[in-house]
Amino acid sequence: MSDILSKLSTAIIEGDFASTPEMAETALEEGLGPDEILNKGLMPGMDHVGVEFKAGNMFVPEVLRSARSMQAAMDIIRPLLAETGIEPAGKIVIGTVKGDLHDIGKNLVGMMCEGAGFEIIDLGKDIEPDAFVEAVKEHSPKILGMSALLTTTMRAMEQTIRALEETGIRDSVKIMIGGAPVTQAFSDQIGADGYAANAASASDIAKKFTP
Amino acid sequence: MINSKFTAQVTPGIQLLSDDQKGGIHSATLEVLRRTGVDVLVPGVRDMLQKAGCWVDGGRVRIPPNLIEWAIRAAPSRVVLCNQDGNPAMELEGRKGYYGTGSDTPFVIDAYTGQRRKAVLEDVANVAKLVDALEHIDFLMCMGIASDVTESISDLYHFREMVHNTSKPIIYTAWDRANLEAIVEMAEAVAGGPEALQRSPFMALYSEPISPLSHAKESCEKLLFLAEKGLPVVYTPGMMIGATAPVTIAGALVQANAEALSGLLITQLAREGTPVIGAGGILFMDMAKGAISYAAPEFMLAMTAFSEMYHYYKLPIFSFSGCSDAKVFDQQASAEGAIWMMLTALGGGNLIHDVGYIESGLTASYQQIVAMNEVAALVKRFMGGIEINDENIALEAIDRVGPGGNFVGDEHTFQHFRRNWVPELFDRSSREEWEVNGELTLGDNAAKKVRQVFENHQAKPVDESVSEALEAVIQKAEERNK
Ligand code: B12
Repeated sequence: MSDILSKLSTAIIEGDFASTPEMAETALEEGLGPDEILNKGLMPGMDHVGVEFKAGNMFVPEVLRSARSMQAAMDIIRPLLAETGIEPAGKIVIGTVKGDLHDIGKNLVGMMCEGAGFEIIDLGKDIEPDAFVEAVKEHSPKILGMSALLTTTMRAMEQTIRALEETGIRDSVKIMIGGAPVTQAFSDQIGADGYAANAASASDIAKKFTP
Repeated sequence: MINSKFTAQVTPGIQLLSDDQKGGIHSATLEVLRRTGVDVLVPGVRDMLQKAGCWVDGGRVRIPPNLIEWAIRAAPSRVVLCNQDGNPAMELEGRKGYYGTGSDTPFVIDAYTGQRRKAVLEDVANVAKLVDALEHIDFLMCMGIASDVTESISDLYHFREMVHNTSKPIIYTAWDRANLEAIVEMAEAVAGGPEALQRSPFMALYSEPISPLSHAKESCEKLLFLAEKGLPVVYTPGMMIGATAPVTIAGALVQANAEALSGLLITQLAREGTPVIGAGGILFMDMAKGAISYAAPEFMLAMTAFSEMYHYYKLPIFSFSGCSDAKVFDQQASAEGAIWMMLTALGGGNLIHDVGYIESGLTASYQQIVAMNEVAALVKRFMGGIEINDENIALEAIDRVGPGGNFVGDEHTFQHFRRNWVPELFDRSSREEWEVNGELTLGDNAAKKVRQVFENHQAKPVDESVSEALEAVIQKAEERNK
């Protein structure tokens, strides 16, 4: 493997976000393609981070820095990827549903997915079904993620799915849901495409949705 | 109740902060409120704060130090909660501590099958019965969220079941202002009118700001309504160290204090003297799992220091105990729960909740509640301290028995042995006896006791007319929610 690619991987693992953009540029100058930089430099770094996090050897703030380092490099290569017609992992629109102000779980999910190469559009918390619909229209994401921690707000996930159906764009996105009281059974019941109990498995199912 | 002030020479306690450090935390808190301020998401409340001298900038309110110091003095230093008959049950002040359950877990561990399942209304009735029957659990929170009633008004159903199944004080939650109004209407029916309820409240609302530093719409509306009514409210941050608060305990403490005291200011401006129980939750985020912990030592440190700050302010303290991150009632649940029980007593918390929480607040365990009742009894004995006087120093007895004798049959032993604690569930029998009795663990004994209470305990029934009034409020709410 080229020297600069392994350096990029290491920088991502170490969370050196100040250096990764420059490294990405160097790699481009050396004549490497953006896809090669993504798949052989950035992703191996983040994959390693994912494995280490699951094993309990890396911690949330470290993973966050790694994801940030990855995104900093992505900012450089994303336009070129688009030019060469290679699609990056795609966009995820994510938010905490109407009436619910719990956002830490949602933030962690966004962060892990960002680390997996997705572009995250975070709508924030207390998001109305219509606002989700609008965001799906505007950003055409591959995935819509919804978070709810309250028994009283879990229903809003269902309402959002119905609203997407009514607008006729339900099938344009995969829908994943989560939050402490959410279960697989609930996900099936409301017609979501997937449920994850934590941020690491959330990024796993996101990857599965976008082969 | 843990109250050793009058009987012991020294109340057992721990201290984390020096007076200088408390002053430092206080100053830093005032600085956060002056410099950064808090978001207040109800315009009317912002206006009220502005009139009082705060600086308002959009939704942000910055607060001058004198106002906070005024609120600390204006708020009552003691809050008395009564039982449903109007007799005093808890004096929330000083270092007097009372244990109670937690609220709103989506799941419970079934007392018969041992399986985790969704909570139902019968669980709320059962936990109320359990609290009613347990000597050392002093107040009730609903424990589970009933999944088998109209979701948007489950809080009303919880309240009804609690009233029916215990006469101990109730700390309740309300989804929004409309439901809160309905619950207060129910409580007035129980107490015999608004004035009787205000004079001898048997309940207090649990509510929260949204960390970091935000008084959300629902939070403000609830505070205003209770201030209007002159009814007690618990207003406590539910923050997570490292996620919604600084990762350093001192920083989290300052931010929590800023949230609690700015909330206190809102209540005191709305109505001076509104009874508020403050301090509260500085939970911990585990950075390896990205999960919330209800039993981290960092949480325990922060909580103990927060109590110290509130002792310093002479304000009633909301605290935590008997809770755990374990998934079932197991060794971890016992260890974490018991450490908390002793710690909060030593730290001088007043209204000490969440006894019986496992899985970091997602599941409730009846066994844990019963086991912690046993621990509470032990803790109370410890908190009685050592009474040092001539009779207890026992020079006469020592001399009487002398070298080589024994004390078992001595008159002094006979006179005093009853002061010592006798466990109910903790096992001190011989191995043979334990084997003959079926080799029961604490878990077995606790489960047995839970079922015994469910099947046999009868709380004092409420009057037919009260029962009808409660029903009427619920029916009205059902109509409204159709
Ligand atoms: C912190 C907290 C708060 C904070 C939130 C601050 C914030 N900025 O987020 C505050 C204090 C504001 C708060 C308020 C309330 N809370 Co709260 N809160 C919690 C607590 C203690 C931790 C939540 C948390 O952040 N966990 C850490 C994160 C990392 O975990 P997580 O959210 O579960 O997310 C993970 C997974 O679920 C999953 N996931 C999450 N979202 C998504 C989305 C997707 C797409 C996917 C795939 C996966 C996924 O991945 C995440 C990362 O691993 C929980 C208890 C608990 N153990 O969950 C109660 C809890 C959720 N709260 C509860 C309640 C009742 C309330 C209040 C109603 C209390 C009140 N009476 O005022 C208010 C409601 C406010 C509102 N309108 O939303 C109840 C909910 C019960 C229920 N099922 O209805 C709980 C369970 C506690 C309890 N037993 O009382 N709360």
